[in-house]
This record gives sequence, structure tokens and C-alpha cells, in this order.
Amino acid sequence: MNDMSDAELVECIAEAGPRREAAEAALCRRFAPRIRLYGIKHLRDEDLTRDLTQTVLVAVLEAARQRRIDDPQHFDRFVFGTCRNTVARMRQQATRLPLATDEKLAALVAVPPLTVELNGLFACIAKLEERSSLVLMMSFLEERSAAEIATKLSLETGNVRVIRHRALGALRRCLDAGEGTSH
Amino acid sequence: MSGPDQHLDWASLVDYWAGDLAPDDELTHDEHLFGCEACSTLSARVAVLTETLRDLIPPLITPERLAKLAARGLTILENPMQPGDRREVVFPKHVDILLHRLGGLDLANATHVSFVMRVESTNEVLSTVLEAPFDRAAGTVLVACQQHFAAFPPDTVAEVHVHAADGGEKLSRYTILHCFEPPT
Repeated sequence: MNDMSDAELVECIAEAGPRREAAEAALCRRFAPRIRLYGIKHLRDEDLTRDLTQTVLVAVLEAARQRRIDDPQHFDRFVFGTCRNTVARMRQQATRLPLATDEKLAALVAVPPLTVELNGLFACIAKLEERSSLVLMMSFLEERSAAEIATKLSLETGNVRVIRHRALGALRRCLDAGEGTSH
Repeated sequence: MSGPDQHLDWASLVDYWAGDLAPDDELTHDEHLFGCEACSTLSARVAVLTETLRDLIPPLITPERLAKLAARGLTILENPMQPGDRREVVFPKHVDILLHRLGGLDLANATHVSFVMRVESTNEVLSTVLEAPFDRAAGTVLVACQQHFAAFPPDTVAEVHVHAADGGEKLSRYTILHCFEPPT
């Protein structure tokens, strides 16, 4: 199932045959991490992101079962559109969305949280140049834009962006190499 | 990315997660990420770093943030210090935050405060904060030392620069020799 295209999986679901359940699971595994990333980016909240992931998957699977997806070749765009609309609805409502009580689905959407072991991360930050770690902290801890940081540090905005992505690249390589061991 | 079929690169994904893309570009990235497994995987590798950094407790905090951390149930150990102090401070393993309360500062006329943390033995700069939060009435700057700071050298000098409206600047130093209790 994992080798099948989105459109093939959508067709399997619509056929309501013996492969439906496996096709639904494959689509969930494929799209749950992408919906989750979208939620983290636009909602900045773990609980709301979990709600979003489950709500969107329920909606797109129901649409697939009922053959309501006009262009299965571009199923990803259908998921994206559903995601955008759901986030807009969540922002309008003060309360969390009611969730479907499908235990199988809940298990499929359980994507591990985005975390890094902090001791390792700090050991890697300690290896960065002072200006690089300052730009990272101003970018993410203080939520400052590249333009703001550029003004504070008397740099060009483009230069701040380069420092920032190189610093994160260095952190990524340091963590991947297991160099983030504290002393 | 210059076309719909091209992959997103690390740099543009960092800008995306930093919130530094124009709205149209952000929308293009969003849409592409839904249809591209390779880019979605790379995006997750960026996000795990940016979102972890975003969720960190900053090294310098306001009294209001301190109250919120205490309300969350974090164990906080106070370490009040005065300018010129130099002493060893044990960071017990059951404590979440060792709060260095850097006092004795005349902040009545301060326009802003900047902060540098150095290694005493090498003079290496560990951290710089250009606009540090401060408590004007109490004359303090609060440093929230955390267990994962054990990754840094333990002998540190906190330098607090108080900047006044007339352009004057006063520097106060606090030497903190951290002793992190090893895990059992």
C-alpha cells in the first residue's frame, strides 16, 4: 500500500472493498505528519494541532469514501485546502473542535512530538560562534524578524538570514553526529 | 524554489519556520509541503530545532515570567548576588531553575540593560542579550539558570551593563561558579 499513489489509495477507499482499511491507514500515515507540521506552524499549540490532524483526516477520509474528491490526482491539494479551512474555523471558535471517537484513527494520527534532547542541543549551541547563537536566540526565543535583528546588530537582513540558516545547519549536523554530549 | 516541481532548500525552510517569508511565499511553501514527502521530511528536521528553541525558557526573565514558572510547578532555587560577589553555587538535581537574582543595580534612570555571560577562565562569551529584562524598582536582573546549561563551562561571569539616557554606562560583575549535581 505504501507504494501506491494518493489517487490509487483514494480509489481503494471509494471502492469499499477489503483493502479500504489498509488504504485509509496508508493515507493517514502519509498525511498525518504533514498536517501536524502545518498545525505547529500556524496554530503553535500541541493540543490544537492534535485536534487539527484528527479533524482533517476524518474529513478527507469521509470525502474519499463518498467520492467527493473531484481530482484524486491532486489529493494533497484537497488535504491542504481542508487543513486551511479547518485552521480558519479553529481560529474563529474559542473552543476546541469536537473530535471523532475513532480509536483506530486516533492511533494512526499519533505522530511523535517534535523534540530534541536539551542537553545535547545546548552542547551544540555552545560550539557555535557567539554571533550565530545570538542570532538564533533573537530569532526564536525573542521572536524577532531578520529585519529587526539586522537593525539591532548593524547587519544586512540577508546577512542575518544566512547566519541563521547556517547556524541551524551546524546545530543539525552536530546533533546528527552525536556531538551534543555534555561535559 | 523557483518552480512548482523544485524542492525547497534548507535556507528557505528556515525562513519559513522563522516566519520571515512574505505571505504569498509562505502560502506557496505550505502548499508544496503537502505534496512533497522529501520537502516535508526536511521541513520537520528544521522545525524540530526552531520549535525547541522557541519553547525554551530564556536565560533572562521578568518577575512576571518567574511567577508563571513557579505557578507551573517548577522548582526554583534563589541565589541572590551583589556586584563583585564571587562564589560557588550548587545546582541540586531536583531543582528546575537556579535563579541568580543579580541585585545592587541602580536602574532608576536606565534606558536599557545589556547582559553578557562569559567563562571566567577563558573570557569566552557564552551568551549576549542586547536588551535584557530588568526590574527597575527592585534594581535586579533575573538569570534563570537551567539544568541543561550544564553543557556550558561552570565558571561564569555575568556582566550587567546599565545604560543611562545621558549615554553613561555602568558595568556590574557577578562571578558564579556553578556546581551541577551529577545525576544518580
